[in-house]
Amino acid sequence: MIEVQNLIKKYGDFTAVDRISFTAKKGEIVGLLGPNGAGKTTTMRILTGFMPPTAGTARIAGHDVTTDSLAARGAVGYLPERVPLYPDMTVEAYVSFWAQLRGVRRPKSQVEAVLKRVQLFDRRRTLIRNLSKGMRQRLGLAQALVHNPPVLILDEPTIGIDPQQVIEVREMVQEFGSAHTVLLSTHILSEAEQVCDRVLIINRGRIVAQGKPNQLRQQFESGEHLFVAMEGGDGDAAHVLQNIAAVAAVTPVEGGFQVRIKPKQDGRGAIFDAAVRAGWRLTEIRPISGALEDVFLELVERDKPPGAKPG
Amino acid sequence: MMMATWIVFRREIVQYFTSPIAYLIAAAVLLLTGVVFNQDLAMSIGTKPANPAIVPQVFSFTMVFFAPLLTMRLFAEEKREGTFELLMTAPAPESGIVFGKFFGAWSFYSVLLALSFVYQFILLSISSPDLGHTLSAYIGIWLYGGATLAVGMLFSALTENQVIAAFISMIALMLLWLGDQAGRLIANIDAARIVRGLSLQGRFNSSFAAGLIRAEDVAFFAGMITVVLYVTIRVIESYRWR
Ligand SMILES: Nc1ncnc2c1ncn2[C@@H]1O[C@H](COP(=O)(O)OP(=O)(O)O)[C@@H](O)[C@H]1O
Ligand SMILES: [Mg+2]
Repeated sequence: MIEVQNLIKKYGDFTAVDRISFTAKKGEIVGLLGPNGAGKTTTMRILTGFMPPTAGTARIAGHDVTTDSLAARGAVGYLPERVPLYPDMTVEAYVSFWAQLRGVRRPKSQVEAVLKRVQLFDRRRTLIRNLSKGMRQRLGLAQALVHNPPVLILDEPTIGIDPQQVIEVREMVQEFGSAHTVLLSTHILSEAEQVCDRVLIINRGRIVAQGKPNQLRQQFESGEHLFVAMEGGDGDAAHVLQNIAAVAAVTPVEGGFQVRIKPKQDGRGAIFDAAVRAGWRLTEIRPISGALEDVFLELVERDKPPGAKPG
Repeated sequence: MMMATWIVFRREIVQYFTSPIAYLIAAAVLLLTGVVFNQDLAMSIGTKPANPAIVPQVFSFTMVFFAPLLTMRLFAEEKREGTFELLMTAPAPESGIVFGKFFGAWSFYSVLLALSFVYQFILLSISSPDLGHTLSAYIGIWLYGGATLAVGMLFSALTENQVIAAFISMIALMLLWLGDQAGRLIANIDAARIVRGLSLQGRFNSSFAAGLIRAEDVAFFAGMITVVLYVTIRVIESYRWR
């Protein structure tokens, strides 16, 4: 459904997308995961026909985005990063407008169906300016879906909405996955892991890793993160922790230390032993979440240009 | 392209008829034309026949300001709201979008013009104006309005700031308007003829408004609309390369 080969996009001298290749099959949800400025939006803008690539080819449902642009565009539903809305239109008129512009002749039934699907049907006569942020996001999805395109391209669809609505949007995207090929970008690893069948990690315009989310996690597992607090540690506790063989990094935090354990090591055991030797009384030792984000940060960190400061 | 033109056109028409700014402009135009019409009528009593082109003449100058106000949203707003990106990724050619917006604006303007027929009916009921003269003035001001709206839309396509779009197109239209005066000051006859030939005022006041429909004046406004729309389409296309 989506076939991308050696895609390059340069803005002047700056290469924003650097020889990206991937494919997405029918019914697959593919995640484009990367930090800000990685080139996600640029890639999506090329696939949606907004801008031509500098080099390389991309096909949507068999149509080349440069040589057969109108057909390719007709096969895509697109939700840009900032939800594009006409504040003075009603929900219904807005969705109907986009349906018609994308070739739906009698949009009424399709508009109704899609508004029900994103739970905005009872708001269909509301002016868009009066919608909440979450509703606007869902309206953005409705606009992308209304012409029933084989390919959906969603640029950071959960950015800037509250957690409850993030969950709703993610569930909707997963639902769409059965009938559409979905390409979704995000900078949140857990989101990619939860929603996508396959993840492409992109950094500085290049794909640095790809695979199923659980494969990726195993491949790049950075080990457990623990919160450790003790009594009797005095000034040298950080130093002692750091010297434990199984420990990768120690960061002092409020009331204790955040300790990153090396992959596949028994961090807790080693810390207990060290505590006994140093004469501390451990008051707390518990795993902390956010470790998944670190996998990804580490990967991105490794990919820094030579000479760049970590941080 | 026809389909896209029609769909965009319909959206623009609805926008105009639900937009407070459009209603304000309509009110202002009708008020101005009403006042000037009244004065002309009062002065004419017993001295001269009322000027059948007076209302179109009011339109001709006020469009220097109102055309930018009517068109500043057209593309600037789409760019600010991000809907521009959706338009550019819809399976519709740029030309269809540009034509749809232009015809939307021109149609709204045509409705404004049609509303001003009320003055012609008043004139008709109290005197016997030269209807041929009236008709030629209206045909002229209709084309003239189209040309000024096209210019306004072009500047809207060049920026995402509506105020800047309106401001720059007012300046541009003012210069085109003043071309007539400038032409009078230029000593070189050929240069003067060219400058005056490009002037909005010169093409309207001394021809259509005087009851003359000249092919060259029709061609001037039609040509200006065509050229400006063409440039606008190119400007819109150029956003793909930024
Ligand atoms: N129109 C543009 N002109 C110049 N540079 C740009 C333009 N758009 C994006 N960039 C640059 O290209 C890089 C990739 O941007 P983008 O694709 O928006 O990343 P992402 O969506 O992953 O955050 C960034 O460094 C950004 O500054
Ligand atoms: Mg982005």
